[in-house]
Amino acid sequence: MSLITRRSLLANAARGGLALGAGGLIAACGSSSSSSSSSSSGASSSAAAAAGTPKHGGTLRAGLTGGSSSDTLDPNAPVNNTDYARVANLYEGLVWMNAAGQPYFRLAEEMTPNKDATVWTIRLRPGVTFHNGKDVTADDLIFSINRVVNPKSPGEAANILHGIDAAGMKKLDNRTISVPFTKPYSTLVESLAQNITVYVIPVGFDPKNPVGTGPFKYVSFTPGQQSVFARNENYWNAPLPYIDQLVMTDYADETSQVNALLGGQVDVVNLLSQDTIGTVTGSGKKVVISDGGGWNPFTMRVDQPPFTDVRVRQAFRLACDRQAMLNTVFGGHGTIGNDVFGIWSTEYDHAIPQRPHDPEQARALLKQAGHEGLTIELVTADIAQGVINMAQVYAQQAAAAGINVKLRQITVTEFYGPNYLKWVFAQDYWYYSPYLPQVQQATLPVSPFNECHFDNPRYNSLYSQALATLDEAKRVEIAHEMQMIDYDQGGYIIPFFPPVIDGYAPHVHGIVQSKVGSSFNDWDFQHMWIA
Amino acid sequence: MSAAAQPPLGVSGATRRRGLPWRRRHPIAHMAIVRLALGVVTLFAVSVLIFLATQALPGNAAYAVLGHSATPQRLHALEAQLHLNESLVAQYGHWIGGVLRGDFGTSLANGESVSALIGPRIVNSAVLVFLAGIIGSLLATAMGLIAAARRDGWFDHVSSVGALTVTAMPEFVVGIAVVIIFAINVFHLFPAVSVIPPGTSPLSNVSLLVLPVLTLSVVIAPYIFRMMRAAMIEALESDYVEMAELKGLSRRRILLVHALPNALPPVIQVIGLNLLYLAGGIVVVEYIFNYPGLGAALVAAVSDRDIPTIQFLVLMLAAFYVAVNIVTDMLALWASPRRRAAR
Repeated sequence: MSLITRRSLLANAARGGLALGAGGLIAACGSSSSSSSSSSSGASSSAAAAAGTPKHGGTLRAGLTGGSSSDTLDPNAPVNNTDYARVANLYEGLVWMNAAGQPYFRLAEEMTPNKDATVWTIRLRPGVTFHNGKDVTADDLIFSINRVVNPKSPGEAANILHGIDAAGMKKLDNRTISVPFTKPYSTLVESLAQNITVYVIPVGFDPKNPVGTGPFKYVSFTPGQQSVFARNENYWNAPLPYIDQLVMTDYADETSQVNALLGGQVDVVNLLSQDTIGTVTGSGKKVVISDGGGWNPFTMRVDQPPFTDVRVRQAFRLACDRQAMLNTVFGGHGTIGNDVFGIWSTEYDHAIPQRPHDPEQARALLKQAGHEGLTIELVTADIAQGVINMAQVYAQQAAAAGINVKLRQITVTEFYGPNYLKWVFAQDYWYYSPYLPQVQQATLPVSPFNECHFDNPRYNSLYSQALATLDEAKRVEIAHEMQMIDYDQGGYIIPFFPPVIDGYAPHVHGIVQSKVGSSFNDWDFQHMWIA
Repeated sequence: MSAAAQPPLGVSGATRRRGLPWRRRHPIAHMAIVRLALGVVTLFAVSVLIFLATQALPGNAAYAVLGHSATPQRLHALEAQLHLNESLVAQYGHWIGGVLRGDFGTSLANGESVSALIGPRIVNSAVLVFLAGIIGSLLATAMGLIAAARRDGWFDHVSSVGALTVTAMPEFVVGIAVVIIFAINVFHLFPAVSVIPPGTSPLSNVSLLVLPVLTLSVVIAPYIFRMMRAAMIEALESDYVEMAELKGLSRRRILLVHALPNALPPVIQVIGLNLLYLAGGIVVVEYIFNYPGLGAALVAAVSDRDIPTIQFLVLMLAAFYVAVNIVTDMLALWASPRRRAAR
């Protein structure tokens, strides 16, 4: 599951201008070493890795963008970045993802499928207690799952558990349950290894007084402003966490966020743009640049003209100069993409030939399809760092292929309003998911967020086969065939996988580069210490 | 003037049965009452207009809350929970009924009580507006007085050019410059951002207020300065000041006792206008300093289509506008007895 549901800068053209203009002013005044970003990121990551022994104590102050008045602590309803930050520290899932983008067991000790992958047996790790002292038992796990799939008010993770037979869940012993599904689900572990997942909460959970098993426990929370958490003294993964208190403050704007870091009022900040790297490093602070697996695609609806013709889709993909776009928008940081998602999965096929930048071929294809010199509207909004810039760059690049792209910039609220998933040519953003779980969210007819309205019968049947295949090698083969279909016929243009750029003060240690595609290795504050 | 039609002021009811009407005897109070009544009507009209305007925006609070992760199921569930599928009249009626009982409703974005969540933010902004208003006005008035008293001197030239320069700069440029000079690059005297922790009063941490107040004061000072200077110059060129000089009164007495009171009415109006400008324009400063005030809250509420919060904030702002207008006019009327008498 890689739903990127944060809202970054709120949509407001004046404020966007303010941020860019002011950011430019600060960049001009601040640094003299704007071109040393790659060396500084290398230095900062190796320095972080080589830092001494962790020390206990201190308060970590995080200044985070993406928050809003709809901030929440409910583990079933995280929507924006700050929600994920809170939820990742108060609660824990059965499975989680490490910095290499691979799933590992967190609260689950073991998860075993039956031979046709229709029933999963899940055993919880022993010795875990909630913040209120109660032990974690199988009843709590059943309650947590039911709360997610509650048909009257489904949680974020409900569509990951698509096909679950919740009424058929059985408690096998104090720490073990069996979960039946109506269809085979061989990829359950991968699918749960994301920040939209089943978080284990106690029976009778009350969002006004949130209790979880996480490294930090709730102290106070004011939506749109600040949340304060304290160290969980009885955390099962002792000696973690190291810091005593975690204060997360919402910032509406990158400018004030960076100012706060430079002025020493916060210790870590998330999701910087590449323009501020120089300012931050030039003032003695540090930056960590991760090759995240998140992706910001251009989305073409394959069921609407002109994109019904696969040649037009291929032409649009060929018209994109990916390296140039990456250089312009993200200063060259990040990984070039090949119109297939899930880059860090074991099933990603790195052997697919990299699509070149070929405007001539694009022109030829368009001519064949009878769409020479076509005009198209691209709907864009400030939904994530760099998205609008990408649209502007694409519009310029497409002109060389004879495509006349008209940009239509709207507010974030309007973008995700009633017309979301109906735009013919638009953009979107996703966090990193392994390949098959991502397919379930994006490219099947039943997918909740199928922006391209992709519905390929061969692809759909391959997916069902993959879900019924427990043999990993066979699954990888099936996935490769699906990826060729994405590559040849899909509706996404995935020019690259953008970098995740976070900033921090030098006295904070334990920060690592991560492939998971969200800040700080998925808000991994428990591994940080202050020295 | 048709003297025959009205009795001269001060003559007690010799030619009329009941004497001067109440409104003539208490012109300021009369004006205040009429304006208050009109103000209430204005507030009501504003609330209806804003409600309709928010409805006209694409999307609603359910879409805004769920954002990227909205599925049709979750949308319907949330819309029902937030009563967004009721008719417009029902929704507005529900809200106005609550307001008349003193209950401003709960936020559609997070379910908390609007007055509990937004009230402190209004207080935060009010503190900024009043501090900046007072400091900026006093400073600018004093500077205008001195500049007019020593007209064409070095102080007059320097401050006039300075005022013009500042007027030309947008608010956020002033703010960023203040942050760069006093917080980050040149000096490190004050915090670069002013995050008031929720639940604490802004006045309990004055160092956080210095830079935002400085920014706002600098932004409003030029207008007050220029108006004060112009009004003082006009007052100093009048006949009665010439008379006072011929009589041999001291310069200071002439300035403060004779010229200043006559220069005040237009300056009071300008100060009032600037306070109103501050209330509306504070949002940029709040973004720069990440100050938890009402400007940022209103932008967020509109983005979230959070109708109760929008209504609450707009009502408070409209009430502030009405109140400042009334007070300004009352003060101006009080400061010019001639106008009072002419009513």
